[in-house]
Amino acid sequence: MTDQKFLVFEKNIEREKSRQRVMRILVQVFLYLFLIIMALIIVFPFYFMLISSVKELAEYRLPQQTLWPNKIVFHNYVEAFHTANLGTLFSNTLYVGLVSTALSLVITVITAFAFARLEFKGKNAMFAALLATMMIPGELFTITNYQTVSDFLGFRTLGRELGSGDLIAMGDWKNTFTVLIVPFLVSVFYIYLLRQNFLQIPNELYLAAKVDGTSDIKYLWKVMIPLALPTLISITILKMMGAWNSYMWPQLVANDEAHRLITNGLRNAFTTTSGDVNIPVQMAAVAIVSAPLFLVFIFLRKYIMKGVSRSGIKG
Amino acid sequence: MKRRIVSLLLALALLALPLLAITSCDVLTGNAGTEPGENNNGGNGGNKNPAVNDGKIHITFYHTMGESLRAVLDKYIVEFNKLYPNIVIDHKQVGGYDDVRDQIQTEITVGDQPHIAYCYPDHVALYNIAYAVQTLDEYINSQEVVTRADGSTEILGLTQEQIDNFIDGYYNEGKAYGDGKMYTMPMSKSTEVFYYNKTFFEQHNLSVPKTWDELEALCATIKAIDPDSIPLGYDSEANWFITMCEQYQSPYTSATGEHFLFDNQTNRDFVARFRRWYELGYVTTQELSGGYTSALFTKAPADTGNSYMCIGSSAGANHQIPKNDDGTYKFEVGIASIPQVNANAPKAISQGPSLCVFKKRNAEEVKASWLFVKFLTTNLDFQAEFGMASGYIPVLENVTDNAVYAEELANANGYEGLPLLATKVALEQANAYYTSPAFNGSSAARDQVGQLMQFCMADPTCSNAAGIKAAFENAIYECKYQIGE
Amino acid sequence: MVGSKHPWKAWLYLSPAIILLLIFTVWPIINTVRMAFLEGYNSMAVAGGAKFEIGISNFTNVIKYKGFINCLTNTMLLCVLTVPISTILALVISVCLNAIKPLRRMLQTIFFLPYVTNSIAIGMVFAAMFNMVGNNFGRPNEILITAGIINNIIEFFGGEAINWINVGSTKLANMTVMVIYIVWNALPFKILVLLGGLQSVNKQYYDAAKVDGTSRFRTFTRITVPLLSPMITYVVITGFIGGFKEYSSIVGIFGEKMGPPGTNQSTNLNTMVGFIYDNLTNQQGRASAAALILFGIIFVVTMLNLHISKKNTHY
Repeated sequence: MTDQKFLVFEKNIEREKSRQRVMRILVQVFLYLFLIIMALIIVFPFYFMLISSVKELAEYRLPQQTLWPNKIVFHNYVEAFHTANLGTLFSNTLYVGLVSTALSLVITVITAFAFARLEFKGKNAMFAALLATMMIPGELFTITNYQTVSDFLGFRTLGRELGSGDLIAMGDWKNTFTVLIVPFLVSVFYIYLLRQNFLQIPNELYLAAKVDGTSDIKYLWKVMIPLALPTLISITILKMMGAWNSYMWPQLVANDEAHRLITNGLRNAFTTTSGDVNIPVQMAAVAIVSAPLFLVFIFLRKYIMKGVSRSGIKG
Repeated sequence: MKRRIVSLLLALALLALPLLAITSCDVLTGNAGTEPGENNNGGNGGNKNPAVNDGKIHITFYHTMGESLRAVLDKYIVEFNKLYPNIVIDHKQVGGYDDVRDQIQTEITVGDQPHIAYCYPDHVALYNIAYAVQTLDEYINSQEVVTRADGSTEILGLTQEQIDNFIDGYYNEGKAYGDGKMYTMPMSKSTEVFYYNKTFFEQHNLSVPKTWDELEALCATIKAIDPDSIPLGYDSEANWFITMCEQYQSPYTSATGEHFLFDNQTNRDFVARFRRWYELGYVTTQELSGGYTSALFTKAPADTGNSYMCIGSSAGANHQIPKNDDGTYKFEVGIASIPQVNANAPKAISQGPSLCVFKKRNAEEVKASWLFVKFLTTNLDFQAEFGMASGYIPVLENVTDNAVYAEELANANGYEGLPLLATKVALEQANAYYTSPAFNGSSAARDQVGQLMQFCMADPTCSNAAGIKAAFENAIYECKYQIGE
Repeated sequence: MVGSKHPWKAWLYLSPAIILLLIFTVWPIINTVRMAFLEGYNSMAVAGGAKFEIGISNFTNVIKYKGFINCLTNTMLLCVLTVPISTILALVISVCLNAIKPLRRMLQTIFFLPYVTNSIAIGMVFAAMFNMVGNNFGRPNEILITAGIINNIIEFFGGEAINWINVGSTKLANMTVMVIYIVWNALPFKILVLLGGLQSVNKQYYDAAKVDGTSRFRTFTRITVPLLSPMITYVVITGFIGGFKEYSSIVGIFGEKMGPPGTNQSTNLNTMVGFIYDNLTNQQGRASAAALILFGIIFVVTMLNLHISKKNTHY
């Protein structure tokens, strides 16, 4: 091979390399372009919500929608807060969310512990049965649960027979917070998730603790819960989001002013979404309702994404 | 970091404990809302069936009254208790009419319904599936003498004078169940009236239409004056349909035999006519415009898409006042009877709550319930005061014997006095009222004809007779499906 | 596994979950089947002392009913449209995200945003974006106050305004809005799972492909998709289950009427779940039958998906 020839060869390689580099840059540019356009589409509804919520109604009704408000006003927020009575809705939802999350965590932990660490007859069959219920759509339960909460375990009928107001009240769960909390305390999926997590903790730790005479509860509290903490946090957040997003069950059983939850309140306050309605006020209400979810997301992004990727369900 | 989160969780759990205590408390007392947004409705509100060991008869009464109306009610409960101190009335605002219906429906299934409730005929038909409503004939006709606490007496039933004093159309509503028996007593009523922009009408020399033909011509005139307006708003599609049936004397429904009779040529014709109106931009309705049409009526005439006429409930007159934020009025409102097919035989719907009494095992409780119902419906002063506070029409003919009421009625005007002006118009057409038969399926029929009106006006397939025919057949099909046929 | 000496302890731990599950899950399953096979069952008639024959008329009534067929078609249509679209779009976005370095985290967060929302609240935002204000759209006497932001954008690109959700809108337009909204809502979860899957795929496969000079598209179809097939199966199955339970997104856009004004039971956008809720308080027999039908469909579709994916999984 002469030098001359070698040079040509090297040049070819150079050219090929730079061609590849250009290609790579082009591909990258294309990728970014595509992703950014998609991201803009994803974000657009949020942007629309925010700008519309600070427009005057007259500006909103212009034939050509403005992409930035001519005049920014905030009175829509005040009006939205009052129209939808958001204060009460917030505190109701927060209350239901907190109580149901706390109770649900306790039940999930002890149940998962029993399935992961204790030995008893019929354990596997029962766990399988539990998992099987996950296949069934929740609406199937709702039909009967709606009847159940009107006369819980027959207390109401019994109370009527005995003339006992207390018994009647115990059987009548409609329009209480109880009805929003208790039917959903057990989540098979969370039990499953946590059990898997517990199973990864070496059994030797438990045996050693037993030898030391540590009680189950202490062991659970000192060893297992800290190790399974990320899962527990994910469960907490998803459960809270569940309270924030629940709509149908509360609409059925607790749609009175004192117990109404946020989503129902929002939908009830603005029954129509089309036609000549005051959209700026609606958008302000939506923005207020969405804000807490975003705050939680900003601070706990990692846990939410981790929890969500395993659950596949909203809330 | 982890430790901190553990303690956070612990704190959360601790926080939950007292909250839990409240929840369980909530279960035990059944008291609606000890926590956020306390909403204890008037007097003995929330807690029904208190310990019934005080030797008194406890009566629960479900209604939809807001705060100011509850005050009127409470005042007259005191009056009632002067006569019958032994009867305790526990009343409760359940929510809107649908909420009352839903709650009572659930309670009937567990045998725990209240004693008295606000009702519409359709509700009573629903409760009657479970045979839960007490027929009132034996009480109305009873000649039993009851001694009151002040020593005076009355008969348990109604005197002929009392019966005659009810506005006929209202009283007869209680018998609209196909078996001739009386199921309800009228409490307070409303009807549909025609609101119009009096300022605009006077300005353009327009006269109030007596018939639908005149209205059609009027819409054309207004559309020519202001093309950017929708001249007429009609709130309730279902009422429109049912009232037209009544005005044309064409069949709608029947409580006996074949229930759903509304698929006939007359009805298809008027629906086709109103579709044309809609296409010409003459009219819109509540569902089609996305809200009560009073919103369009009370807009400033300069606004695009405003209305100059509105047919809506007389009880909603408050919402028809075109008040500016600064307290001035955009225009003066006039009220008239709704247009007719035959101006000599007017027909207008009778709406508004009646009272029904539920069956109870203890006959004394039913009797006490009846006494209270009788008191509310026949007491002139209560009827007058309640009418003034609510904007509903009293059910008694001699209500103007109440001096205050008579004076307020005389002073009613087209601005702030609109509710009473509406009542005045409503009282003047006392001979026009009709009610539709109530039966298991009557509410389905009502829903369906309302939807049918919207569908025929809006759907492209209804631009020809065949499309409208198909839509009617579909509505009948839906009604039959709903009642399980 | 530890053999506990006290099996009662396990049962003690399990008792809260078991009791709640018995009341709110097991009993409803039994009761739903019971009500579904009692002909014409409804609780008001029960209170009136009615007796019901055992039979399948609830099922036949429901299946023959035009309104139910409409619900079924709508649900199927939404599933068949949204699941493939959102899966493919999510796959493409994930692959693109995986191929970039800078801005990846930020974009990833943006793509996750729609997840942290309330489907009713954001439904109202979508409705506002597609909403026209005015009267008599598309008719000679049209009054158009504003055509809405989406129509403004369409007009900007030279298109013609479309009546999406208002009176007189076509079902095609309504469905398009629903598909856009549901896909928008479903993307975050799918991207999260698929991207997670991509990141755990062994780089060696790609290096090998690069050496072979395989084209990008071929790499995508021959390597990426097969390696991701377990994740794809997962998002498809959860997508179908979610799709068959579609309800609140429609309530968000159209309100509880489940369609634009002027539609009826045979033309609106009601779904299976909506049908169950419509019948829940008055016709429990029919609601139960519909719930069992829904369960059957979900069961069959899930099994079918698992079967297909088992055949095509390449590990």
